[in-house]
Amino acid sequence: MRGRTSPFKPRPRRSWRAPGELLNFTLYFLCAVLLVLSRIGHDAVVDVRDRFVDLTAPLLEAASVPAIMGRHALDRVRSYAGLADEIDRLKAENQQLKQYEWRAKLLERNVAQLRSLLNAVDEPALHYMTGSVIADARGPFLRSALINLGRDQGVRIGYAVINGDGLIGRTVDAGASVSRVLLLNDLNSRIPVLVGQGGVRALATGDNGAELRLEFLPPGAALHPGDEVYTSGSDGVLPRGLRVGVVTGSPGALKVRPHAELSSLDVVSVLYFDTPALNSTDPPVVSAERPLSPASPADAEEPPAVPTAASETVPPAPIKHAGAADGAPPSEGMAQAQQ
Amino acid sequence: MTAMLPALSVLFAVFAAAVPWGLPADATFILPLVVVMMVFCWRALPGTALPPYLAMLLGLLTDLTSGGPLGFWALMCLIAATAGGRAPSLTDGRDVRRLWLVWTGVASLAAAIGWLLASLYFLRWIDWWPIAFGALASVVLFPVVLHGVLWIRRGRLLPERTALYRRWT
Repeated sequence: MRGRTSPFKPRPRRSWRAPGELLNFTLYFLCAVLLVLSRIGHDAVVDVRDRFVDLTAPLLEAASVPAIMGRHALDRVRSYAGLADEIDRLKAENQQLKQYEWRAKLLERNVAQLRSLLNAVDEPALHYMTGSVIADARGPFLRSALINLGRDQGVRIGYAVINGDGLIGRTVDAGASVSRVLLLNDLNSRIPVLVGQGGVRALATGDNGAELRLEFLPPGAALHPGDEVYTSGSDGVLPRGLRVGVVTGSPGALKVRPHAELSSLDVVSVLYFDTPALNSTDPPVVSAERPLSPASPADAEEPPAVPTAASETVPPAPIKHAGAADGAPPSEGMAQAQQ
Repeated sequence: MTAMLPALSVLFAVFAAAVPWGLPADATFILPLVVVMMVFCWRALPGTALPPYLAMLLGLLTDLTSGGPLGFWALMCLIAATAGGRAPSLTDGRDVRRLWLVWTGVASLAAAIGWLLASLYFLRWIDWWPIAFGALASVVLFPVVLHGVLWIRRGRLLPERTALYRRWT
């Protein structure tokens, strides 16, 4: 090695500065300690994070506005570019949807008749509140999004979050005015689902990729690409029947492609679905007497008792919730948790 | 104000990285790496003040805004600050290619450490592709970020660019 010149021009040689080096070493050590504390979920780390997120929420909200506007402008340019094809596609889809509408009305009537014959209890309706994504997580650890709805709006940990296309995740952290949503494709996400018309039970797990894996399928389960995947509700946290995605891939390596575009979320809704499991893990802090799951349609027409500040700040977007109740406008806060 | 310029510009990048840009799932590693890259560039430029503890603090902010475990991006920024402080100075060499080469090494190291840490954190091998893609993209984007940093420092680019590419042309 002697005699070979370095490809880099050397900086002026500095004498070893013990305090500086020691400080560097301390900083590296501090990072390692913080990582360990985060791993074990130390209360102080969680508390600091919550306080910081609440503190910076207005800043992030303001910063996200130009990004979202830019994204919309880009989408608009893209849609203009393929406008003719899009019109043709929509016409074909419209024809198909008209047939589905007719069939759906027929089925709805049949179901109503059968339910009345059985004297069945009405499906509980769900309140929801709509907000927008103000930040999303980057890096190898997490697929999450920060939304501008928090405990002040009645949000609690464990609530399902949906957009117009279907389920996008659930809340894992709720601050005063913001909440963090763990997306379906996060490594820690586990959603019990039903697959296909047969309702095969499975677990849809995220792996930080674009698609979800199907685990714990019963042996010999007959699944096919194109089968619909929806929540089973067997975890006692998420309501049953929320649209998740569609089965893709080949037999033996089946995955689920979420209906919702998880990488470009904008307007989302939190479903206020309280269960005993949630009540024991994250008790509500606002309006305990709030009617969360009215059983009768009369109750469903009443406006939600939760504060509506966030709804007012968000412009009413034309979102269609998964199986939204017939005739209920999206921003009024009622959705039917049935497909 | 000039002394605070490096920290302020990286702070701006930290918040810009948290904003929902609608990037695909495979590209989510790129934006925080831009923050790390800016730390590296500022540290490599002579006459600028971005001490390692400040770099770590900015990394911690990235951790807080990203929702990931505290300490991960702080560690990445610290590695970048250490490497940037010891990289061949632009004033000495006037050659951006050497700095680029060093950043390639730093990005590879950061990606490897990131993948290893994330795998350790979850106690399973996580998908390496988004991390590798992010590192690769950061290598490609390096001249852009370097020029951005130079522009922030001087308010104009032309004399710096002439100096940087004197050997290339």
